[in-house]
Amino acid sequence: MKEIKLPKVTFWRAVLVIIWTLGLYATFIRFTKGLGAATNLSDQFPWGIWIGFDILVGVGLAAGGFVITAFVYIFNVKDFKAISRPTVLTAFLGYVLVIFALMFDLGLPYNVWHPIIMWNPHSVMFEVGWCVMLYTTVLFLEFSPLLLERFGFKKPLAIMRKLILPLVILGVLFSTLHQSSLGTLYVIVPDKLHPLWYTGLLPLLFFISAICGGLAMVIFESYTSARAFGKELEFPILAQLSRILVVVLFLLLFIRYRTLAANNALQYIFDGSKESIYFLVEISIGIIIPVILFLIPKIRNNRAGLFLGAVFVLIGFIMNRLNVSITGMAWSSGVNYFPTWMEVAITASIVSAGFVIFRYATKHLPIFPDKESEAAKVPPPLISAGRSGSRVIMVLGSLLLIVSVGLALEFSSKSKTEVIPEEQSEPVKNVMPAELSLPAPIEFEMGEDSPGVVTFTHETHVDPDEPNCTGCHTGMFNIKPDKVGALGSVSMEKLYENQQCGKCHNGDDSFSVEECEFCHYAE
Amino acid sequence: MNAAILNDMTKCIGCKACTLACKEVNGLPKDASSDVLSSKSWVAVEQKNGINIKRQCMHCNEPACASACPVGALEKTETGAVVYDASKCMGCRYCLIACPFSIPKYEWDKTLPKVTKCVMCYENALKKGEQPACTSVCPTGATIFGDRDELIQEAKNRIANNPDKYVDHIYGIKEAGGTSVIYLSSVPFAELGFPVDREEEPYPKLTWKVLSQIPNIVSTGGILLLGSWWVINRRMKLENERNQNNIDDDNIIES
Repeated sequence: MKEIKLPKVTFWRAVLVIIWTLGLYATFIRFTKGLGAATNLSDQFPWGIWIGFDILVGVGLAAGGFVITAFVYIFNVKDFKAISRPTVLTAFLGYVLVIFALMFDLGLPYNVWHPIIMWNPHSVMFEVGWCVMLYTTVLFLEFSPLLLERFGFKKPLAIMRKLILPLVILGVLFSTLHQSSLGTLYVIVPDKLHPLWYTGLLPLLFFISAICGGLAMVIFESYTSARAFGKELEFPILAQLSRILVVVLFLLLFIRYRTLAANNALQYIFDGSKESIYFLVEISIGIIIPVILFLIPKIRNNRAGLFLGAVFVLIGFIMNRLNVSITGMAWSSGVNYFPTWMEVAITASIVSAGFVIFRYATKHLPIFPDKESEAAKVPPPLISAGRSGSRVIMVLGSLLLIVSVGLALEFSSKSKTEVIPEEQSEPVKNVMPAELSLPAPIEFEMGEDSPGVVTFTHETHVDPDEPNCTGCHTGMFNIKPDKVGALGSVSMEKLYENQQCGKCHNGDDSFSVEECEFCHYAE
Repeated sequence: MNAAILNDMTKCIGCKACTLACKEVNGLPKDASSDVLSSKSWVAVEQKNGINIKRQCMHCNEPACASACPVGALEKTETGAVVYDASKCMGCRYCLIACPFSIPKYEWDKTLPKVTKCVMCYENALKKGEQPACTSVCPTGATIFGDRDELIQEAKNRIANNPDKYVDHIYGIKEAGGTSVIYLSSVPFAELGFPVDREEEPYPKLTWKVLSQIPNIVSTGGILLLGSWWVINRRMKLENERNQNNIDDDNIIES
């Protein structure tokens, strides 16, 4: 007799089941009743957490992929080789989940493939879509050696190993493009995005903060994987990463400051508004506190300290993306957006699915290096990883800085005005005001005490040369299709008080309302 | 020839004939309020401080919505009208975000939603050389249709002949790079909810400044990355060779 083994019911598994059940129900509502039923989105606020969090944060946090692969395969920093596999897995998984999450937000997700054949190269969204498509493909190819190794396909594996360098270069390029383009999306709304976040250099800020988020994600994920799966934590490598993070965070702070100063937005930082508070919290948690933490050697050389610093960076990163997409946009929208439980349930379901798939992948694929590998044992400092390597990084770092400054100057200069060419088109009939089209005579409904029916004609009241329609409409006489001529739309009380018709029919400008028979025709 | 609409708010009596005509032509429900724009009211007449304001798509010369749409579903036609092709749309709603006047609305209550806005009756009227529904029913001539240059001239004439009646500004000549729907008003436009004090540069230029750099970034970046890999790779190879030679020398000496 075979024993049936039921999966153990743990706390986290129970939580997962609850989240997924809620998510499933929310999915059902979303697709059977529409976006309005499942979300708090509206014409005034069309993008909520499904864009602000699922996409902007999701794509940013998967950025570790291109940063680490660049270090390993281009700059030949072999120290990081051990974490390149889990990083690529996180990135690939992240992008797949982002695309999956997008299907919920799009109004017509079955048309998501349209940008492949319908092109608008002037659209930032077009560029984001294409880069994400291409980058996910690259990630899949970078990830494929893991699958090929697992299933023992030796020849394809050898081929893929040769392609790794061009793939990594393409990966870095595509990543740079779309990480920054997610910021460029908001460049077109200078009036709608709050000045504490709006700048023409949003693409640069998004790119740099994506590097920060990606690096912090690597530290975070290595730590949690080690604790969850008992894999060796590549501590020395992560300590090096934290030093790089400090430098990049400083750069980020500096450029943020410069853009705020250039846009005359420094005045908003301490103005006590809701937005200023969100801004201060974001900068403190995301930049200032982690920089301080990482500069203290005791914290930097301590596993928990590294993890803590990384968590701050990640929270700050999430806050930044949410501030740009939600706080900063809600400011001008006139509405107070807050997601429905269904929006949260779907987001939570997707994020938790990510964790589950990651865990499943680490169990069945060769993600983590063997304990015997050199990378995990001796902690070689960054400098010795080929002195050439570090020097080249410094040179490239300065180049990046120069390019950044150059771009900053480019964007801040006024654009030349272009002459819009006259377009030849079909002649359209020219219509200028000719005759007034006055309504037909209006017969008023008779009240009980009425001496006779009243019929109003516009012709007797309107001078065709100087119509002055607004003299009577809508102040004196509000035009409501259901009320015209209705009983009570004009009342004798008002007339006697020199209102409505009584304003002119006062005996001076025209005959008085006391002359009943002038208007009321007796039957 | 650029088709345009002149909305003279000093002549609008709020009768809403224009909104009803629009609903008639586009099959929209009459009971849906036309006090504000919505997916069921593509033209609205709003009352503010006793003044009636016709709200509709501005049909910008260089529309932000058209540049934002990834699949080109929104397009400025040769007539001047900015039209929408629902068959291309995937519902990303970037056009709602991008429009500086917040004109496009979405069918949030539908399972297969579309973006909605005034399309200046392009299919049913403009293409045939006729005027849109709204301007054809206005009893007072508050909203009229014509060639953009002629309407601008007419607007200038009105201001010149009645300086007390109008604020000396024609809204839409320069705003957002110029629009095909222009307005005249008796009070400052800011009081009527029109966005003012903005750059006159068309909005699409803002993002194009960034997007046009992409070929540069890709080529420069690609060369930098490939170059640095090559440089580092060579250095490592040379270092390894040097180390190997040292080891061989040691071996020779020892032996």
